[in-house]
Amino acid sequence: MFEELLEDIAQKNALREVNPYLKLTAGLGALILCLLSSSFIPPLCIAVVLAASVLFLAKVDARTYAELFILPLSFAVMSVAAVILITGGQDVFWHCDLLPWLSLSVTRESINQGVYVFCRVLGGMSAMCFIALTTPMTDIFSVFRRLRMPEAVLDLMMIIYRTIFILLDQVVQIYSAQVMRLGYSTYRESIQSFATLCGAAFIASWDAGDDLVRAMDARCYAGKFALLGENRPVERLPCLAVVAFLTLSAVVVMAAGSFTLL
Amino acid sequence: MHIMEGFLPWQWCLIWWIIALPCLIYGLYQLKKVLAADREALPLLGVTGGFIFILSSLKLPSVTGSCSHPTGTGLSAISFGPWVTSVICAIVLLFQSLFLAHGGLSVLGANIVSMGIVGPLAGYTVYRLLRDTSVNMYFTVFLATALADMFTYATTSLELALAYPAESGGFVGSFVLFMGIFAITQVPLAIVEGIVLALVFKYIVALKPDILIRLRIFSEDKINSARGDAGAV
Repeated sequence: MFEELLEDIAQKNALREVNPYLKLTAGLGALILCLLSSSFIPPLCIAVVLAASVLFLAKVDARTYAELFILPLSFAVMSVAAVILITGGQDVFWHCDLLPWLSLSVTRESINQGVYVFCRVLGGMSAMCFIALTTPMTDIFSVFRRLRMPEAVLDLMMIIYRTIFILLDQVVQIYSAQVMRLGYSTYRESIQSFATLCGAAFIASWDAGDDLVRAMDARCYAGKFALLGENRPVERLPCLAVVAFLTLSAVVVMAAGSFTLL
Repeated sequence: MHIMEGFLPWQWCLIWWIIALPCLIYGLYQLKKVLAADREALPLLGVTGGFIFILSSLKLPSVTGSCSHPTGTGLSAISFGPWVTSVICAIVLLFQSLFLAHGGLSVLGANIVSMGIVGPLAGYTVYRLLRDTSVNMYFTVFLATALADMFTYATTSLELALAYPAESGGFVGSFVLFMGIFAITQVPLAIVEGIVLALVFKYIVALKPDILIRLRIFSEDKINSARGDAGAV
C-alpha cells in the first residue's frame, strides 16, 4: 500500500556529500540528451551508465531500484503498444480496419517508433531516478533559493515537504489499525474505510497546520524561513566524471543519428 | 497515472511548459494576495499540498484490480480556487516525481496542465454553479471531484494524441484510442474517487464543520442543516 519514499534513500546514499549542482547537472543533462536523441541507442546507454552509478557509486539496493521501474514500465509498455498500433508506415506487417475512420496497423516504421519511445522512457526514468536517489530535497531547496525562486513558493514547498512526513506516519498507523479490524474485507467496507482514512488525514493535516502557525508565531516568523545552505565543495574527480559522462553521451547522440532497429 | 518521463517528444514538453507557465504565474499572484490578506493561510495551503501528496500516494480500492490513485485536486480547488491549486499542484507533482518516481521532470509542464489546471478548473466550475442552488451538498462535492478527475484524464489523452497522431483519422483517431484505453480504468476510478471524497466531506462536516465555515466553502445554514439530518455517521 505504501511505497518507500525515495527521499529516505536519498538522505543516506553514498553520493550524498557530492555537490548538488554536479548531480543535478548530470541528471538534467542526461535527461535533455535523451529527449534530443533521435535514435534508441543513446537513451539505452545513458540508462545503463546511470543505473550503474546509482547501484555502485550511490550504493542503492538493487531490488529497490528494480522495483521502482516496474509500475512505470508496465504503463509504458501499454502506451507504446498504442503508439505502435496508430503510427503508420510503408512496410505493413499487419493491418486491421477497426472503424471506418480508424485503422490499426503494425509497420516497420511504427515498431521503430515504439522501440525508440520505450528506450527514451527508460533513459528519462533513469535520469530522474538518479536525481531522486542521490540528491535529497533539502539540497534542492538551497539550489532553488540560489536560483531566486519566489519566497512564497519556496516556503510553501518546505511546509508541504514537512507535512508529508507527519501525515504519512499518521496515515500508516490508521491504515494498519483499520486492516486489523477487517476494515478492507469487502469492497463496500473498503470504500467506507478509505474515506474515513482520508477524512482523518485531512483533519490531522488541518491540526498540524494550526500547530505550525502557533510554533512559527512563537519564533517570530516574518515571511521567510531561514535555510542553512550546506556548502559542499566541487571536487575534481566527480566534476571530471560528470563532464566526461555528458560529453560522451552527446557524442553518442550525434554518432547514432537516427539509427533504427529494423 | 501521470504521463511518464521521456514519453513526450521535447517539442511537446516545451509547448506544455509554455502553456502552464502563465497559469502558474497568475496562481503565484493570487497566492501572494491570499498571503497578504491572511498570513495564517500559508501553513494551511502547505498542509493541503501535503494532503494531496498523501492522497495520491494511497492506492484507491479499484474494481478492475489495477492500482491507481485519487488526484485529490478537486477538494483543493473547492477550498482555495483553481489558480492557487495549480501552484500547489505543481509543487506536489515535483515531489511525486522525486519521491515516488511518478510522472517526470520534462513532462512536468504537461502534467501541470492536465492535473493542476484543467482538472481543478472543471471541478471548480461545477462547484460554483451548484453551490448556491438547492442541490445536495455531498452530490456537489461528488460531481466536482469526479469531473475534475475525468477532465484530467481527457486532457492527458489530448496531450498524448497531439504528440502521437494516428496515421488514419489523424489526431481525432488517436484521441479516441487513448480515451478508450483510459476510459476502461479511469471512469470507474473517477466515480469511486467522487464517492470517497463525498464521504470524506461528510466526515469533516460531522467532526470539524468549523473548517468548512472558515473557508466559506458552503454557507453555514447549509452545513448546519446537513449536520442536522446527517445523524450518526
